[in-house]
Amino acid sequence: MKLFTKYNRVNVSATIFTFVLGSIAFYFVLDYVLSRQLKETLRSEQFEIVHYVEEHHALPEIQNTRHQWITVEKSIEKLDKPQFKNIGYYNERDKENQSAKQLLFNIEVAGQNYLITVNKSEAETEELLKLIILVTIGMIALMLLFNYFINRRLINKLWQPFYKTIDDIKQYQVSDKQPMRLSNERIDELNLLNDSLNKMTQSIYREYAALKSFTENASHEMQTPLAVIRSKIDLLLQQSELNEQSLQQILSIEDAAKRLSKLHQSLLLLTKIENKQFVLNEQVDLKEIILEKIKEREELIDSKQLKIETFCKATTIYFYHHLAEILFNNLLNNAIKYTPQNGIINIELNEEFICFKNDAFNESLDTNKIFQRFYKPNDSRDGTGLGLAIIKEICNLAGFEISYSFKDHQHIFLIKIKTIE
Amino acid sequence: MKLLIIEDELSLNQSMVEFLSASGYVCESVFNFNDAVEKIEVYDYDCIVLDIMLPGGSGLQILKYLKQNNKTDGVIIISAKDSLEDKIHGIELGADDYLTKPFHLSELSVRVAAIIRRKKFQGNSVITLADIEIDTVAQSVKINQQTTELTQKEFQLLLFFVINKNKVISKNAIAEHLWGDDMDIASNFDFIYAHIKNLRKKIVTAGGEDRIRSIYGVGYKMQLP
Repeated sequence: MKLFTKYNRVNVSATIFTFVLGSIAFYFVLDYVLSRQLKETLRSEQFEIVHYVEEHHALPEIQNTRHQWITVEKSIEKLDKPQFKNIGYYNERDKENQSAKQLLFNIEVAGQNYLITVNKSEAETEELLKLIILVTIGMIALMLLFNYFINRRLINKLWQPFYKTIDDIKQYQVSDKQPMRLSNERIDELNLLNDSLNKMTQSIYREYAALKSFTENASHEMQTPLAVIRSKIDLLLQQSELNEQSLQQILSIEDAAKRLSKLHQSLLLLTKIENKQFVLNEQVDLKEIILEKIKEREELIDSKQLKIETFCKATTIYFYHHLAEILFNNLLNNAIKYTPQNGIINIELNEEFICFKNDAFNESLDTNKIFQRFYKPNDSRDGTGLGLAIIKEICNLAGFEISYSFKDHQHIFLIKIKTIE
Repeated sequence: MKLLIIEDELSLNQSMVEFLSASGYVCESVFNFNDAVEKIEVYDYDCIVLDIMLPGGSGLQILKYLKQNNKTDGVIIISAKDSLEDKIHGIELGADDYLTKPFHLSELSVRVAAIIRRKKFQGNSVITLADIEIDTVAQSVKINQQTTELTQKEFQLLLFFVINKNKVISKNAIAEHLWGDDMDIASNFDFIYAHIKNLRKKIVTAGGEDRIRSIYGVGYKMQLP
């Protein structure tokens, strides 16, 4: 629910409640005032009659109007004091039952006791009351309507900077190499929000930059000694007095140094992927890369007399070119390495998935451990044990789903991808 | 040919100097930023081997300096920063090539030679060595004055041997040169052997002398007088 809708709901119901309560109170107050006024009128009529009788010692001539009439009758009975009564009567002109207020009092004219009733219809008062109530309701409705539209416009306008901030956050990427710089607004709360976000992204960015420079420094500090080892080996190999045994030992050192270097590069790559140092915003043609990677390995494939079947449709996705290369390098390297002589590798690519199948030497790999770092199947000695972990991380980064299965004596790697619409 | 080796790691610097000197280059080495700038200001080099992370400054600044002063020295960056951005950045700033540490000295040698060929001879370089004649632009080879058809890989292999003549080159170095670092070929050197066998056969067929020696199964060496 939108904040405005929520606010409006509360606001409108509170307003209606207040007005209804107010109107009821208003009705009763008004009713009280009007009926008092009516009584006042009746009393002043009584006063006039009494006054007339005192002066003229005779009953005044009675003039009835539509809403007020007086009756005079001789009576023996005497009232202690004037009495008010509410009566109902049938109004012939309006053709309806109406109520009226009645004042009864005694008066003596020439020794004769009279009972005089002054009647005043309440129809007028009621009409007035109705009118006032109607006007009030109209005003409430008008006010609610105005309130609604003004609020809507005002609130929409007030929230504009908020939505702008949200847009900025959505577009922000820490790999953009700078913290967020949200503008100052005239509203304090929004300023507070923007300031906090600026500060937050600043510290995130600082940590990101520190991590990035750490991986770079780690790379430098690690690869430099390895470069020294490798260069010294290259020089050692040139010494003609070395015998076969020494050369073999030197070669073992070279292999180990190479593996160490590869291992370190792989760990750094994993760290970089985890740190999201790659932004997947390049349009990458997967088919092109797959075919290129197969071509690069032609000799290797021929030397094992492997058969590669490809069913690739041109598929373009948003990705990072270098990562896509690493992904297919690893998938292909594994497939080639773990397929026996004369085996078949089957590669399928379309808008929905990438699938690598290859004939297996042995039984299924351990599905629980296969994507773990440093996992190596029993028959594997070399390799870093990080290839599949890297594949998994790349898939995670891109939001792809990767699964491994073993069927018909084949290893099957299936990656569900998202293509560009 | 004069080279300047800018690398702060002493023993790596020495290794490069030793290997490249043996290949016939005149090498000078410096170990920090300021010395490097001093050298560059005074002398011209055919190729500069440049490390990025240096005490006193960044190798990239040296690149900028060269560009601003219209120096035409060839530059190859050697750096452990294996990120693609750095490579692109280095090339944009005018470097001719980029080699990631750790590397084989034979690989460095071949890259330096390529840069010098491009810079010095405007690419019109024909390398002649005994009875082998390699045109690096046309990618053609004459052996014993006879044009010999080589595959792409055989051509690269021959050039690699010729540039690193009289040097023992390990199988690892050959594999990395021909197929790069991304392929997992550590356990399978058979197909390297196949390429070398084919190359030797073609040389012999053309009437050339087979100078490629196998060194105890460790590597190979092209023996030239």
